[in-house]
Amino acid sequence: MQIPKTAIELRGYFTWMGDDGICRTCVKPNTDISIEDAVSNTLAVTSLFVDRKFPLLIDSTAVKSMSYEARTHFSVRNRETKTCAFGIIIRSSVSRVLGNFYLGISKPSVPTKLFDNETDAIQWLTQFVNISGGN
Amino acid sequence: MGIDFSKISLSDNTRANEILEVILSFARQDFDKKVEIIGDDHLLDGIGSGVNMLGEELQHSTISLKEKEQLLKEIHHRVKNNMQIISSLLSLQSDSVEDEKVLSVLRESRNRINSMALVHEMLYKSKDLSQIALREYIESLSISIRRSYALPDSVIEFCYDIPDDIYFNIDRMIPIGLILNESISNSLKYAFPEKRGFINISLKNREKEYVLVIGDNGIGLKEDFNVERDSHLGIQLIHMLTEQLDGSLELKNKMGVTYSVNF
Repeated sequence: MQIPKTAIELRGYFTWMGDDGICRTCVKPNTDISIEDAVSNTLAVTSLFVDRKFPLLIDSTAVKSMSYEARTHFSVRNRETKTCAFGIIIRSSVSRVLGNFYLGISKPSVPTKLFDNETDAIQWLTQFVNISGGN
Repeated sequence: MGIDFSKISLSDNTRANEILEVILSFARQDFDKKVEIIGDDHLLDGIGSGVNMLGEELQHSTISLKEKEQLLKEIHHRVKNNMQIISSLLSLQSDSVEDEKVLSVLRESRNRINSMALVHEMLYKSKDLSQIALREYIESLSISIRRSYALPDSVIEFCYDIPDDIYFNIDRMIPIGLILNESISNSLKYAFPEKRGFINISLKNREKEYVLVIGDNGIGLKEDFNVERDSHLGIQLIHMLTEQLDGSLELKNKMGVTYSVNF
């Protein structure tokens, strides 16, 4: 995933809005995601909201681990007021486990799908661009 | 994605053993250990990370379950205490009453409340908070009812034939307790003018139903006793409670009175 210079850089993530209306958030290599990382990621993602909910592409391939508290934070509808779909890239064994945990245990309330490549993920997320208003 | 066991190296073997050790600690409800994630995108990293996450989920579910059990215990304890307060209030009121009929009504009400309070008491003392050992309950209840009647110079014995391994939940135990309370009270009040006798309580498990039998060897009901016409509140309650158990009631008036409740 190409990280643009305008991306918001946090301890564990890069986050930015793509020209195609799809928001991206990419985990930095070998990051242990803590609750602080999760909360700051949510703030970064929601700060990109203008007037319409947007789809979010999450590249979690490089994640090393995610704490229980961080997973709980992501499971309690913190980002779903500003987002309308999640595409999660899971190319590593840890991210595959994490992605499946997210689908199975957290049960996101917006359409969510796991992918092993960025192209398919973007193609799927495109259908959610400009389809819903904000709240 | 499968594991090619022929290609497992010595270090993989060590890592697999470490993961196994962590799983075994989780099985012992020890959640301090974690699998070390190296970050080399090895399959064992994925397995280890899954084990860690499942352990965390299990730990939090266990804690949440323990908290709920504690809360339930507390609720049963409070319900029992509140019922005991009501019972004590009725007892205090009895002290200022001289009319035998009123005293009897107050005592009967107290016993009914106590039979339900005992269910809650036994529930919070029980291991799984949902089941009560029937035999233990019946023995405690019957002795408590006999004590409440405090018949001087009386020799009224209880005989139990109840298996040790029968457990019921609160939905069944409350009506069973009240049925026992009414039938035992009736026997203690009316069956033994000579103040001597036996009250037999048995429970049989017959294929798909239970049969609870409470009988005495007292003087029995008067010969022209008619259930519809002569039943007092106690017998009416036994009928109602039997219906609550989706059961049927049989009342025998031969060599004493016997109630058989099939449910």
